[in-house]
Amino acid sequence: MKLLTKILLSAVAPSLLLASCKKYLDVTPDNVATLESSFSNATEAKAYLFGCYSYLQKMADVRANAGFTTSGEIIFPYPLQDQSVLGGAGGDAAFQILRGTQNSANPILNYWDGYNQGVSGGINLWQAIRKCNTFLENIDRPRDIQPFEKTREIAEAKFLKAYYHYWLIRMYGPIPIADVALPVNATPDQVRIKQQSVDSCFRYVINLLDTAIAGLPTTIQNPAVEAGRATATIALAVKAEALATQASPLFNGNPDYASFVGKDGQPLFSTTYDPAKWQKAADACKAAIDAANTTGAGLYQLRMGGGVIHLSDSTKQLLTLQGAFVDSWNAEQIWTLNPPFGWQYMASPRVTAEAAANVFAVYSNFSVPLAESELFYTNNGVPINEDKKWDYANRYKTQPGDSANLYYIKLNYTSAKGNFNREPRYYADVAFDGSLWFGSGKLDDNNSNYVNAVNGFAAPFDQLRYNATGYWAKKLVPYQSTAGTNSVWQSYSWPFMRLTGLWLLYAECLNEVGGPSGNVYSLVDQVRARAGLKGVVDAWSQYSNNPSKPSSKDGLRQIIHQERRIELAFEGQAGWDLRRWKEMQSVLAGPVQGWNVFNKTVSGFYQVTNVFQPIFGIRNYLYPIQDYDLLTNPNLVQTPYW
Amino acid sequence: MNRCFDYLGVPLSTRKAFPRLPNVWSLVVFLLLAMATNHVSAQKTDNITVVGTVTDSSGKILEGVSIAANAKQASATTTDRNGKFVLDVPVGSDLWVAYVGFVDQHVTVTKDSREVTIVLQAVKAQADEVVVTAFGRKERKEAVVGSVSTVNPEQLKIPASNLTNALAGQIAGVIGFQRGGQPGLDNAQFFIRGVTTLGYSASPLILIDNIELTADDLARLQVDDIASFSILKDASAAALYGARGANGVILVTTKQGKAGRAKINIRYENSISKPTQMVKLADPVTYMQLYDEALTTRGQAPLYSPNDIINTQATMDGAQGSNPYAYPAVDWLKTLFKDKTSTQRANFSVQGGNDVTKYYIAGSYNRDNGIMKTNPVNNFNSGMKFENYQLRANVNVKVTPTTEVVVRLWGNFNDYTGPITDDQSGFASDLFDRVLHTSPVAFPAYFPADSANMLSQHILFGNSLAIGGALQDNPYADMMKGYKSFSQSRMSAQFEVNQNLNFITKGLTFRGIFNTNRYSYFDLSRAYKPFYYSLSPGSDVPGTPNYRLTWLNNVTGDNQPTEYLNYSPGNKDVNTFLYLQGNLDYNRVFGDHTVSASLVGTRQQTLYANAEDPDTHQPSLLYSLPYRNLGFSGRLTYSFRNKYFIEGNFGYNGSERFAADHRWGLFPTIGGGWVISNEDFWKGKITNVITRLKIRGSYGLVGNDAIGQQRFFYLSNVVPQGGDGATFGTSNGFSLNGTNILAYPNPDVTWESSKKSNLAVEMTLFNKLNITAEIYHEYRYNILINRGYIPVTAGIENTASSNLKANLGTAYSKGLDLHVDYKQNITNDLWASVLGNLTVTANKAGHLEEPAYKYAYRFQSGQPINQPFGYIAERLFVDDKEAANSPTQAFGDNTLPKGGDIKYRDVNGDGIINQDDQVPIGLPTTPQIIYGFGFSLGYKGFDLNAFFQGLARESFFMNATSQDDRSKGEYGTAPFVNNAQVMQAYADSHWSEDNQNLYALWPRLSVTDIKNNQQQSTWWLRDGSFMRLKSLEMGYTLPKKVLKKLYVDNLRIYVNALNPITWSHFKLWDPEQAGQGFAYPIQKVYNIGINLNF
Repeated sequence: MKLLTKILLSAVAPSLLLASCKKYLDVTPDNVATLESSFSNATEAKAYLFGCYSYLQKMADVRANAGFTTSGEIIFPYPLQDQSVLGGAGGDAAFQILRGTQNSANPILNYWDGYNQGVSGGINLWQAIRKCNTFLENIDRPRDIQPFEKTREIAEAKFLKAYYHYWLIRMYGPIPIADVALPVNATPDQVRIKQQSVDSCFRYVINLLDTAIAGLPTTIQNPAVEAGRATATIALAVKAEALATQASPLFNGNPDYASFVGKDGQPLFSTTYDPAKWQKAADACKAAIDAANTTGAGLYQLRMGGGVIHLSDSTKQLLTLQGAFVDSWNAEQIWTLNPPFGWQYMASPRVTAEAAANVFAVYSNFSVPLAESELFYTNNGVPINEDKKWDYANRYKTQPGDSANLYYIKLNYTSAKGNFNREPRYYADVAFDGSLWFGSGKLDDNNSNYVNAVNGFAAPFDQLRYNATGYWAKKLVPYQSTAGTNSVWQSYSWPFMRLTGLWLLYAECLNEVGGPSGNVYSLVDQVRARAGLKGVVDAWSQYSNNPSKPSSKDGLRQIIHQERRIELAFEGQAGWDLRRWKEMQSVLAGPVQGWNVFNKTVSGFYQVTNVFQPIFGIRNYLYPIQDYDLLTNPNLVQTPYW
Repeated sequence: MNRCFDYLGVPLSTRKAFPRLPNVWSLVVFLLLAMATNHVSAQKTDNITVVGTVTDSSGKILEGVSIAANAKQASATTTDRNGKFVLDVPVGSDLWVAYVGFVDQHVTVTKDSREVTIVLQAVKAQADEVVVTAFGRKERKEAVVGSVSTVNPEQLKIPASNLTNALAGQIAGVIGFQRGGQPGLDNAQFFIRGVTTLGYSASPLILIDNIELTADDLARLQVDDIASFSILKDASAAALYGARGANGVILVTTKQGKAGRAKINIRYENSISKPTQMVKLADPVTYMQLYDEALTTRGQAPLYSPNDIINTQATMDGAQGSNPYAYPAVDWLKTLFKDKTSTQRANFSVQGGNDVTKYYIAGSYNRDNGIMKTNPVNNFNSGMKFENYQLRANVNVKVTPTTEVVVRLWGNFNDYTGPITDDQSGFASDLFDRVLHTSPVAFPAYFPADSANMLSQHILFGNSLAIGGALQDNPYADMMKGYKSFSQSRMSAQFEVNQNLNFITKGLTFRGIFNTNRYSYFDLSRAYKPFYYSLSPGSDVPGTPNYRLTWLNNVTGDNQPTEYLNYSPGNKDVNTFLYLQGNLDYNRVFGDHTVSASLVGTRQQTLYANAEDPDTHQPSLLYSLPYRNLGFSGRLTYSFRNKYFIEGNFGYNGSERFAADHRWGLFPTIGGGWVISNEDFWKGKITNVITRLKIRGSYGLVGNDAIGQQRFFYLSNVVPQGGDGATFGTSNGFSLNGTNILAYPNPDVTWESSKKSNLAVEMTLFNKLNITAEIYHEYRYNILINRGYIPVTAGIENTASSNLKANLGTAYSKGLDLHVDYKQNITNDLWASVLGNLTVTANKAGHLEEPAYKYAYRFQSGQPINQPFGYIAERLFVDDKEAANSPTQAFGDNTLPKGGDIKYRDVNGDGIINQDDQVPIGLPTTPQIIYGFGFSLGYKGFDLNAFFQGLARESFFMNATSQDDRSKGEYGTAPFVNNAQVMQAYADSHWSEDNQNLYALWPRLSVTDIKNNQQQSTWWLRDGSFMRLKSLEMGYTLPKKVLKKLYVDNLRIYVNALNPITWSHFKLWDPEQAGQGFAYPIQKVYNIGINLNF
């Protein structure tokens, strides 16, 4: 018996020793960071909200903006000696969609999954929406948050959630609505959510915006710290744009999508055109403009720095037109995204010896197609092919710079005839062979730098640093920017919405509702007046070979569309507008053209040359969902024609 | 083999020193005597000096036979080279004579037995061979019911500083292969019975003297120090490791001292190594021509003018008037590397002791010399040198007659100096990779001084600006600019107590182990920042007044070149490990019945000083918390008359990584064996043919806790203000970072489990041929796999999505291990032996979370694990027109295929080539068959060994991308991209407009990545099987007469070669490197060595 006890004891002792340390495995302390830690106080919660904003701020990069890259306003050359110059391999992917590279296996601008410039690196908008949802679920946690702060932040999260949904709708049409953050252990059925019809998607966005607007401040009180955060005016403007998008032909009774139905047969697109949608949009535009006016919005007034030697009124007008876009945080900018525009060296030509000496300072690859340059009016304010006094037929011939264009084209420098006698916005927005370049170190418009694209600094440096068409998006480069050994690029934040754009949107909606009216004309004319152009009715009656164009609804629609494309050129809007108008196909019907840029003689340079034939079919209006997503969610249907 | 004469080390020796059991009486006698030791030691008797000779039955003398007199502890010895021993013992004491492979004998000393000759009988079929099993227990092979492979450590001796490279083919059941030959990074990958999980880790548990260590530690182990090397393969063998043994266990024990005079063993080796096969690169002129072709064929202007090419040709030819600085043609490989390098290895050991204290002390020194050339122009030596020192001391002390303590101290120290590198490993092996990614014609390695630089103190390194304006990599400057050193050490201290608990009950013993080891690493570098120059336009040859250089990096700030050395501190890594183990063992024989039982408790903890999250590489609280494991396990065995064996095991393990209610896992197993040849009916002629026959089998559960790198599955991993944020304010003055979610909480995650069954036959034919054949089946379940079905619309953050997992996966595997050996003495002087191993595995994925593929062939479930999927390449497109009119092949980059690009088969016929056209192609990427066979021949003092090793049923894909990721072992061979050089094979066979070979090796050239041609497809699929002469060794042992004069016991001189010959279908590079052609090549080694014992 004694023996047995001994055995038992010696067997049990070591086990007990070890068993006593069951706690040995509890190694995690109590205060390990969890999701709740992100809402432990008001500052942490605000940081979380900034995380919700981060996706929006990533959209400021034009490479990820379909409105910029696939608009036909700017193309990116291919092939280059190094195709990774636009911020790494694939940086130019979205530009190349026009060359027919879009596909459903690995879509470009894939915002659904977050690849190929759809934001980036697997960060997608569904995550953004989940972040907003998580924020809304947890914002009650911080004890120290002030009620007004909480109201505002809730409204901001809702605004962002609405905007992310809206962005997806613009790209994919009908989408699933992610109104709540599904739990991680949700069943497959719960997570396989279906697409909703386009109209209910828009309805969801509008409702959400309405609740957000109620909680948002009308204006930013402390711009030094808060400029860029959502305001009621921004939300109202987004609402107006969303409603106008819903009313536009792409989404409003589009017959192309008649057969687009969900998995269980419910139609995803209404096939009947509903004019009432325009009325709603018009009302929303009015509300947005009113809100903007009460918070002090107005046309941009030029703010010049020092050091100017000579500045003529003509040049001043150009700087004002450009400054409305590049002089950040001015009264005309309704919504500006903070991240600075980082591709000035892609947009700028080489205009100085210093810029040419450092070949790595300027790349000039953002190339404006000839057709985009021809969109701008003549100095009489009508399209170049309508102007009775403008030599449309001989626009590709050349002539030396004359005194009438003294502040636009270098005197006696040979340039294309088509570059002469155009509206100021042309010279403010576009640079071309012979155009003056106020700035870049020389603030004297009597002795300006100028663009020599034939055999000067701006001519192709090699097979990499060149502009493929001979037209530069000058609008994107402020006059203060100077390229050289140590380049200085004047920083500006990217505007998403400007007052003039809102006026033109309102005009568009009103014209769709009731056709031409004084109200419509005056809205358009306000924009034209700032650009130094006569009103629509006057200009067309005096100079156009189609003088009655503004008096018909269709004619006025064309005028408003062109006005909008000119006014908002290179601002990342045209790609969206042309899609919702269903005009993209006709804009991209012909080849992208430019000058024969590699020729170093005048006569050789001024030959219209095809750069490439864009590919844009009916299916390209909306974006394909990655095939893999249809496998993981069998309840989804692919975008039509993909 | 283990000498089994540790007769008082009760817990071990009671099992291992059993005489062959039929002789039950001798066992009983032994046990009685062993127990009597306490009492008889005090007796006084007359001593007698016994001089004895021990031989085998053929009269051959036996060296190293243990002789002990039980009566007196101090009286123990072993026979010398002549089989002689001398021992002072009391008259009447019992001499116990034991030798591995022979039946123990007992001789009673009488007054007349001053000179005795003892003839030992060889045991039948090595039935008493000792096998080291779980927790270092030594068991007779006969009694083992689990699947344990042991290997004679001598067979692992290869002339390389890496033990893991010796495993493949040597041990039945080990799948091993080596993918690269970078010194210090040349570990082989090895899996026991192949890859059997879909989960995170398929690596076996590695235990050295019971302590869990890494593959790196195993790699550095000195074969001369190894006493036993065992592989535990099935459930029964690994069961005691419970939740940690599912991938198999490698058990290594190091040598312990033997009583007797100090014996010294010295070995010195000197090796020369060079690549088994070097990739052949095209010459500089071909490079230029193909570069131009790659540009023009894709619609771009050529880069090199005909004039450039002619002048470069002149440089290559060394023609008169050629200018190697204006038109460089650099063979970077030759500029940087010698074609071979040398390694020295020396080790020694001393062992000896008496009955109270025994010691084994070993030291070793290895020195790997770099392959890099050094240049006298530097005043410091940037050549590479890697030194490894090890010291090991194992001391056994008998504190009381029933208590033994063991102290094991081990230090492993590495010192390295070499060129600057950004390689994680610290080794400058990346220079090889850099050389392969440097244009041979862009710039010379360095320039002679021009007039402006006559007085410059620095080297005028060549360079040119890349198209984007950045300086390029000049590998020569990288090598010369400075040096990096690192020091790495692991100190291990281990204390063991073996306590005989016979005073409680007979056969009860206790064993305790405490181990701690400390690891530390730091590196630092000292370097100058090189000055780079290019030749000014219009310059003439050096020496002329018109020879001028342009300084390329005339910058200030961080990148400013310097003529003085800068110091930069590097990584510092420290971790500690603590281990505690307690065993209680019971062994007893009751007549025909033998019973044993064990109970083991273990706990271990690891702490990392530099805890960082593997996803973000940021310091992380979670990863700083101790890693802990707690385990209890037990074993119960019973055998009857040495014929029937039955054994039950359990492991019960806890891990801190799981939620409290999923923390513990219980893993029971059962096994049995039947020695048919011990049956009474096994008589007559059959015993001459089948000398021994045993069958055994086991079935049970084992677990795996290496299931992911996530620290705590039940906790979320959140970094507040660690994610992307936003910036606001008119001058962007206010920023906050959002939250980064790395993992969502998942309280349900638990152990991965494995149901294993094993069936084996062991037999000995004609007393000479041993065959062990095993078949097994395994069902792995609860494998932690990624949730596959969650659509992106759920918004799971991408940083967390890879951590969204569940124990849902299953996998199956089955296979065969075969081991054969044969030994024959042909004459007294000539003997031969043959050895062969074969490992065949087949596995398949069971349940996997897969999307609802439309096509059955896309499912991975049911396919072998590591089954590659890809497109079926038909041929190259004939022309652009055909490419345009074929099913769309868009792979997300900006290009559509042209003539000469790869055409894929539209498997589902939908007019588009996409993932739906990817089918299983080829064989798994891990080999399914590994084999090895070899022979040894001996004639008098000469011996010859050859060992062949090979693998089969493996596919790989030539890496046709431009990948260049050393951390992932990805080395693409795409020419021109990332400045990659061109392989001669691609230069010889590629589609070109002049030679439109639709089946050329390489498709249409390009200077950029063409994704169409880089898809995983049958185009790049290759057969990975190969066989090589792994080692060949010739040795000569000096005759004893000579040795005697030198006072040396044994002296052997040998030469050997590692990997001298390889046979394979694949010719471009060493097939064992698989697809990574630009990886550092696997080495072949020629070695000369001397081994001295005295």
